[in-house]
Amino acid sequence: MIEIFIVFLIFGLLGIVLIFMNKFLGPSRTNPSKEKQFECGSPFLQKGINPIPIKFYLVAFLFLLFDIEVVFFFPWALIFKEMGLTAFIVMFAYIFILAIGFIYAWKKGAFKWEN
Amino acid sequence: MNTFSSLTPLLIIVAGALLVLILEVFLKKEKKDYLAYISIVFLLGSVYAGLRFWNQNPSYFNGKLLLDNFALFFIFILAIATILVTLISIKYIFLQNTNHGEYYALLLLALSGMMIMVSSTDFLIIFLGLEVLSVSSYALAGLKREDPLSSEAAAKYFLLGCFASAFIIFGLALLYGVTQSTDITVFVQSFADPNLSLLAVAGIGLIIIGLGFKIAVIPFHMWTPDVYQGSPTPVTAFFSVGPKVVGFAVLIRIFQPYWRAAVNTEAVFAALWIIAVLTMVIGNLIALRQTNVKRILAYSSIAHAGYLLVAILSRDNAGLLFYLMVYLFMNVGAFSAVIALSKKNKEYLELDDYAGIGFKYPWIGATFSIFLISLAGFPPTGGFLAKFYVFSTAVREGLITLVVIAVLASLVSVYYYLRIIIYMYMKEPSRDITIHTENPALFFVLFLCLYGVLQLGIFPGNVLVFIKQAVASIL
Repeated sequence: MIEIFIVFLIFGLLGIVLIFMNKFLGPSRTNPSKEKQFECGSPFLQKGINPIPIKFYLVAFLFLLFDIEVVFFFPWALIFKEMGLTAFIVMFAYIFILAIGFIYAWKKGAFKWEN
Repeated sequence: MNTFSSLTPLLIIVAGALLVLILEVFLKKEKKDYLAYISIVFLLGSVYAGLRFWNQNPSYFNGKLLLDNFALFFIFILAIATILVTLISIKYIFLQNTNHGEYYALLLLALSGMMIMVSSTDFLIIFLGLEVLSVSSYALAGLKREDPLSSEAAAKYFLLGCFASAFIIFGLALLYGVTQSTDITVFVQSFADPNLSLLAVAGIGLIIIGLGFKIAVIPFHMWTPDVYQGSPTPVTAFFSVGPKVVGFAVLIRIFQPYWRAAVNTEAVFAALWIIAVLTMVIGNLIALRQTNVKRILAYSSIAHAGYLLVAILSRDNAGLLFYLMVYLFMNVGAFSAVIALSKKNKEYLELDDYAGIGFKYPWIGATFSIFLISLAGFPPTGGFLAKFYVFSTAVREGLITLVVIAVLASLVSVYYYLRIIIYMYMKEPSRDITIHTENPALFFVLFLCLYGVLQLGIFPGNVLVFIKQAVASIL
């Protein structure tokens, strides 16, 4: 037990030391042109971070939701024979709730790309 | 008794949330008030379904979901709180341009999370409920989309809420490592062992820290004033009651068996003692300097968490339950009065706005004063009796120093509560205040809270019988 603790302590401290070693030992000589963003030698054309349309986020989110839904079907299919009616009811309650979510997203216009 | 019907209170709430959510997209914008009435019907249905199980102890999922009287009492309190918050929101979200239909659905989902939390002794299930509660709360805090303060509140609540969850889950992992169980009654037994492993102490310490964030005790209170100030005011009322009540319910579930089973309680006792003292003293002292009424009430709710911790330390579960019930009525009442002082796209929250309100709007001024007096702990209100029960039990348990500090701290608190009353009645109005007065639901809530505070302060007998039965069910 104590050996593991010491191992974690040593390597943890070593990590911290190595992170800050660079800062302590390395010379720090800066000038304005060194601090600038680098874009293949030319003056930079736009800011690094641009606003992304929130639609992408929404699509990603909905994809995740309905993708995870399918994942739950696999174990359900495997034990369906043993559980019988219970499994059927449970899965339909689950699909019902998801369907409400689907209708909600649809009516809210989540699938409309234009507008 | 293992029966599927014990799920009905929870299922009714979830069904209500789904119905409200789906109706929201089909209803026209002017008709969104209906959603509030629908959710109140479901809330009342859930309360009825729950109270039918009084004294029956039904359970489901192999006892993982347990509706003992203790859980039912808390479900009752939380459902009442949600009903009151729903009623005060109807006009508010319309006036403050936060009328997104998701509002009521999120409230109901938050309530369902809290119901899961109070009705289980398995900490993994409690954590599950906590997450349901938290995720809905983060969204509720940020509902005023155009207001930067509200977004800030949501972001802060989200970050610190995640932080708290991480503490709880880490503590739970350590306790699971020691006992191979996530059930409170089992892992508390490991403290009966004289050569107690350090992991278990660390585990329970981390869980206390995680819950400390939720009930907003010092030094885990930093998010509270900002979140309370930024959130829409009815949501603030909900935050100040809901998560706090649930946090204390879970603390009772842990400490009721812990104090009896553990052989060596000094460390945990000392930690809670220090947290309680810090919370009462610092919470009240910072409140003295605030000029925003919502922030004053935020620090006051921090200070009240300190008094409630005194009850945890003196093992006074009945006093704690009574205090929570009084706290529900007086705090929701105080926030309702703050909400009453608002009009289209404008809320009056600075102390200077309150100058002369007592004469201009006598009903609002009078009820607000009574809630503040109750928060300060004067007779004949419920706040006095609640403090009296908690402090007198603590004296009987021999926690004299703690009670002296608590009484001095609540003496300090009188200053900032009375300051609002002085502004309302003794200052010349410096600004022109006009408010939207056509708000019957809000005045109904003010009346209900007033009734609750006075009933609990003058004739608490009936409620105490229920509280005794609730406490007896977890012995």
